Amino acid sequence: MQQVRQPADQYRTKTIRPPDFDQFWAEIMAAAAEIPLRPSLEHVPMRSTDQVDVYEIGYDSLDGLRIAGWYCVPKESYLPPPYPGLLIVPGYISEPTLPKSWAKLGYAAVGVAPRGKLRSNRHFNPGYPGLLVHNIVDRHTYAYRGFYVDACRAVDFLLTRPEVDHGRIGVHGSSQGGALTVVTAALRADVITCGAAGAPFLCGFLDAIALTHSYPYEEIVEYLRRHPEREPLVRETLMYFDVINFAPMIRCPMLIYIGLADDVCPPETGYALYHALACPKELLAYPRCAHDAGSYWAMPKVKAFLAEHLKPAGVPR
Amino acid sequence: MVASVRPADFGAYWKAVDDELARYPAAPELEELPRHSTDFGTVYALKLTSIGPYRIFGYYCVPRGEGPFPGLLYTPRYGSVNHIPSYYDRERYAVLQIMHRGQRLADQPFAAAYPGLLTHDIADPGRYVYRGIVADCVRGLEFLLSRPEVDRERIGVVGDDLALLVAARRPAVAALQASNLLLYRLLGAAERSDEYPVEEVNDYLRAYPERREAVACTLAYFDPLHHVPDIRATTLLCVGDPGALGGPEWLAPLRAALGGTVEEYRLTHEGGVDRDWLDAWLARRLGVEPRPLMWATRG
Repeated sequence: MQQVRQPADQYRTKTIRPPDFDQFWAEIMAAAAEIPLRPSLEHVPMRSTDQVDVYEIGYDSLDGLRIAGWYCVPKESYLPPPYPGLLIVPGYISEPTLPKSWAKLGYAAVGVAPRGKLRSNRHFNPGYPGLLVHNIVDRHTYAYRGFYVDACRAVDFLLTRPEVDHGRIGVHGSSQGGALTVVTAALRADVITCGAAGAPFLCGFLDAIALTHSYPYEEIVEYLRRHPEREPLVRETLMYFDVINFAPMIRCPMLIYIGLADDVCPPETGYALYHALACPKELLAYPRCAHDAGSYWAMPKVKAFLAEHLKPAGVPR
Repeated sequence: MVASVRPADFGAYWKAVDDELARYPAAPELEELPRHSTDFGTVYALKLTSIGPYRIFGYYCVPRGEGPFPGLLYTPRYGSVNHIPSYYDRERYAVLQIMHRGQRLADQPFAAAYPGLLTHDIADPGRYVYRGIVADCVRGLEFLLSRPEVDRERIGVVGDDLALLVAARRPAVAALQASNLLLYRLLGAAERSDEYPVEEVNDYLRAYPERREAVACTLAYFDPLHHVPDIRATTLLCVGDPGALGGPEWLAPLRAALGGTVEEYRLTHEGGVDRDWLDAWLARRLGVEPRPLMWATRG
């Protein structure tokens, strides 16, 4: 039987922004800022090419965790520095990409593996499924508290690099990567130049669990089925991590793209995010597209959007 | 252009894999996962022994009520994590999602690296990691075939090259959907792409150019081109854009070699359209209702 739904752009989110949302995150970011980054960088000759050098990187983050990533940067013989920085943030079950193709375009690009991902999971490994509901009754220890900070500190890594133009740093990802794009642009609004977020996850948690049966949101449904009495605590925690609530903090231009038949991250929640953004913004909404978010058509526009704002030398203008 | 040549001992190579698999009992362990079970179906954690011997993992989901149910095997994606089968599949099929060796929940003692898995021991056909991975997937199908609640006449397999290889190795499959092929003409694909995971092969050959012939030799055992004549299932081949990797020209040799009935589906780039069409195709083949269409909007 077909589900009949209101047009997604008319949906009203249940998300509420707690009055102390900004203070909650200011305290977390202040605590994170006290932690020395201790960046490490190890060249990986096997993955490097004539045009791009590839490095395995690491840095410290909240709770004493060491976070891994890939750093791909143009060789000076291919393109001279400085380079715009680009943070590529991963989806829920995917491993971070080696952003070599972005480096070929002239970006100094980091693909980060926040806590729980391979190479960053020695001391924190709630698994998949698992991450989304790990300590979901306590905002002070919920998995995404550290996860969001891990992504933000990849920006700090870029800021340690002399070949990176600190005035041109962008962020891009889809699904959970779309969520992390928004969160990073919000929590590092002082640094981020622009962001492109596809099929953003972690937006309107309570809306999403009523709109879809797909994983990962289904993890929350399953958790509440087993522990219905914890619903108020879950609701309270998620308010502090709902990506819609980060949107008003963003000042840079943002490009959002969604699929109107997305059964993983319902389009209603993508619209809710878009409506909450107070920055210069553009929305690409693709009918009949699902969690691909129309990437076939969107990606050329994402590349053009990032190039317009970040001006990499490898992209002709 | 790199041609994939069927090795002279192709049959013997895979018979040895089958023999090794037969030597180890699957020794299945099923444990219900109450958190993931619903009023319409039970979800189990499944452990099986594959060649090595190596203990692999799967999520096995069985609808409540009178069986037998059509069986459905999802072969693993290229990546460390596979989701629990979807809500709608769990309503209609006895469905198994296998995690091959190296993936999460099957990563003890071997944890796969990404990138890295695709070229793990790639210069030696006897040690190449995909020898075990194919066996893991075959073991998954054997498990489905062993279950009394599964209708052995209605078994489907969905996935990439691994789905093709499984259906070829065990021709008990009725319906097969294959898309996003990775092992098919892989050296040729590497010449045309620098995107991961294909780029792993380019990385490897840059580091070890003298091993090119050995790599080609290994990959020939795994190229579905040499397996698919043994397929008896009705196969739906998902085809990309003309001229692209995965496009009709690229897949033409595979299509020509496929045994059984072959149908093609031209992917649209509209994920919702593709999802619903592919679901309906499989449902029709296996005798269940298609999943509800996701959206009809009012207003």
